[in-house]
Amino acid sequence: MVEENEHSVAAEPSIIARFSHDVVSIESLLKTCYWFSRDFVCEVTEDGAGYSAVSLRPKAPGVSLEGVHDDFMNQALDFALRERVTTKTADIRDLLLAKAFSESGVLEDQPLGMFGDAVEDAKPDSMFKILSNY
Amino acid sequence: MARSFYPLQRFAPIPKQFSLLPFRFTRVDGKELLVNEAGEFIFAPEGTTRSLVDAAIDTQSILYRDLKAKHFIYDETSSALLDVLATKIRTKYDHVMGGTKLHIFVVTLRCEHSCHYCQVSRQTSEKGQFDMSRETADRSLSLMFEAPAPHMTLEFQGGEPMLAFDLIEYIVPRAKAEAQLRGKTLDLVVTTNLACATDEMLTFFRDEGVKVSTSLDGPAFLHNMNRPRPGNDSYERAIDGIERARAILGHENVAALMTTTLASLGHVREIIDEYVKREFHTIFLRPISPYGFAVKTRKRTGYEMNRFLEFYKQGLAHILDINRGGYRLAEIYTQILFTKILTPQGTGYVDLQSPAGEAWNVLVYNYNGDVFASDESRMLAEMNDLTFRLGNVHRDNRRSLFMSEAALKMFEASCNQSLAGCSDCAFQAYCGADPIYHHATQGDMYGHRPTSGFCMRNMEVIKHLFSFIKEDDPQTMGIFWSWITGRPLTVTELACA
Repeated sequence: MVEENEHSVAAEPSIIARFSHDVVSIESLLKTCYWFSRDFVCEVTEDGAGYSAVSLRPKAPGVSLEGVHDDFMNQALDFALRERVTTKTADIRDLLLAKAFSESGVLEDQPLGMFGDAVEDAKPDSMFKILSNY
Repeated sequence: MARSFYPLQRFAPIPKQFSLLPFRFTRVDGKELLVNEAGEFIFAPEGTTRSLVDAAIDTQSILYRDLKAKHFIYDETSSALLDVLATKIRTKYDHVMGGTKLHIFVVTLRCEHSCHYCQVSRQTSEKGQFDMSRETADRSLSLMFEAPAPHMTLEFQGGEPMLAFDLIEYIVPRAKAEAQLRGKTLDLVVTTNLACATDEMLTFFRDEGVKVSTSLDGPAFLHNMNRPRPGNDSYERAIDGIERARAILGHENVAALMTTTLASLGHVREIIDEYVKREFHTIFLRPISPYGFAVKTRKRTGYEMNRFLEFYKQGLAHILDINRGGYRLAEIYTQILFTKILTPQGTGYVDLQSPAGEAWNVLVYNYNGDVFASDESRMLAEMNDLTFRLGNVHRDNRRSLFMSEAALKMFEASCNQSLAGCSDCAFQAYCGADPIYHHATQGDMYGHRPTSGFCMRNMEVIKHLFSFIKEDDPQTMGIFWSWITGRPLTVTELACA
């Protein structure tokens, strides 16, 4: 990841942070911008070579730029990490929610797929065989 | 012959690989706080989440076992116990089953108070113009009992509902009879300032099992400042009413709520001490609602959310000291959030539900027959904003109310799981969506979380509560547990212990 920190001396100071999309996806970058949008105008520019630059310009005079660059970088990395967790767990999350609500009477039809727990189910004295009807 | 034990690996085989279960994380005071779909949490060292996604965590560490036990990971030796986790998630979302539970009847808009922050009241003695008719009450009851909820609450509101006491007398026996016919249980509550409550009215409430909820904003100077009425004696009437109501209905059937105005901010200790002096055992430190007339008078009553948060934190510290001194006083918002954080249960508190509790868990039947998704949405209607008017009791049934354009638009913005800013939030399982608040304050039901007072309040309060959990002081956590469970304080929780 390449990062760049520029403090402009022009009338409208801003900070520029640069990211490689190998590390932080555009989605994670936009989520980070969302949380900075209270105090900053965020301008995102893709260079077409796998990098994006984010320019952060204070919305109001008097907003300190100190620490903003590092804070933005850290939060972007956290969103990238969250994205990896979400990707790795998306299928099992869908399964869990389907299972939770299929037994609640909220859904009219049973969702497709297996809802047993394969590891537990394979045991001859598994908890499911003791607790459930099948 | 010496006998040896089997090696440790026989009892606890070392897993070759593990898989993640869904969770979210945030950072709190140098730790990572991981929260799973069921709201179970764990404080872990910095870098834990990265180690998990990189599969670089020590599978023989205590942290690994804790993560496994709390449904953050599973491996070939443990299984995901999907059914158990799914059951926990279902329990957390219990509020979506069996709606609508709370039904608010606005029997009149008339009121003899002129509170600065009031959203709806009308100062008029002209009976009829702002009163609910019997026909409207009958239709409202019919609609109410179309709801599938097996247990319902009917709450009388105003204005000042005591000014339409004859209508309350009309509705109560009919509601009870209908509940009995349909095999439902029914709670009855009247929200009143008690200024006009006679002993005869209170005796009727006792005989019919109607509970009283009243307003007490603090000591006399503050209460009377917030709640002006002819004679400037709102406080004196409220105290007199509370005492008479307790004498007739029983102490436990009279509750009080306060509203935090600009004038309240510097007096949190006095407000809390007033509740102790009046022998209440609960207090709800509530910010002012940004609806209705409160918007018009916000220069007089309003404030920034960060000032309320300071007020809340100071208040909570004082309340904890009072509990340590032996007097049990629970702060309701804290109690609700700790119930969501520390137990498998959700709560019935509409503002902190996702899908949002509006309509699903509360319906408001206005004096003129209009049906609203919540008390706040009828307050908006008093400002000519009818966005959340679902229909009218004289034209609609439950199906048409819930299939109305107003309802469907609101439902789309009702799940924090899919809202920008909330979908990745570690506190999602404890928080709500509140599309009505965001419509009222930001002109957008989906809302903009970075500038949302709702988000700021809940983020800060939940973080504050997690700081207590992280500190894990047995006395303080014992007090919170007494609030959650309703048990008395124990010796461990008292300052002299």
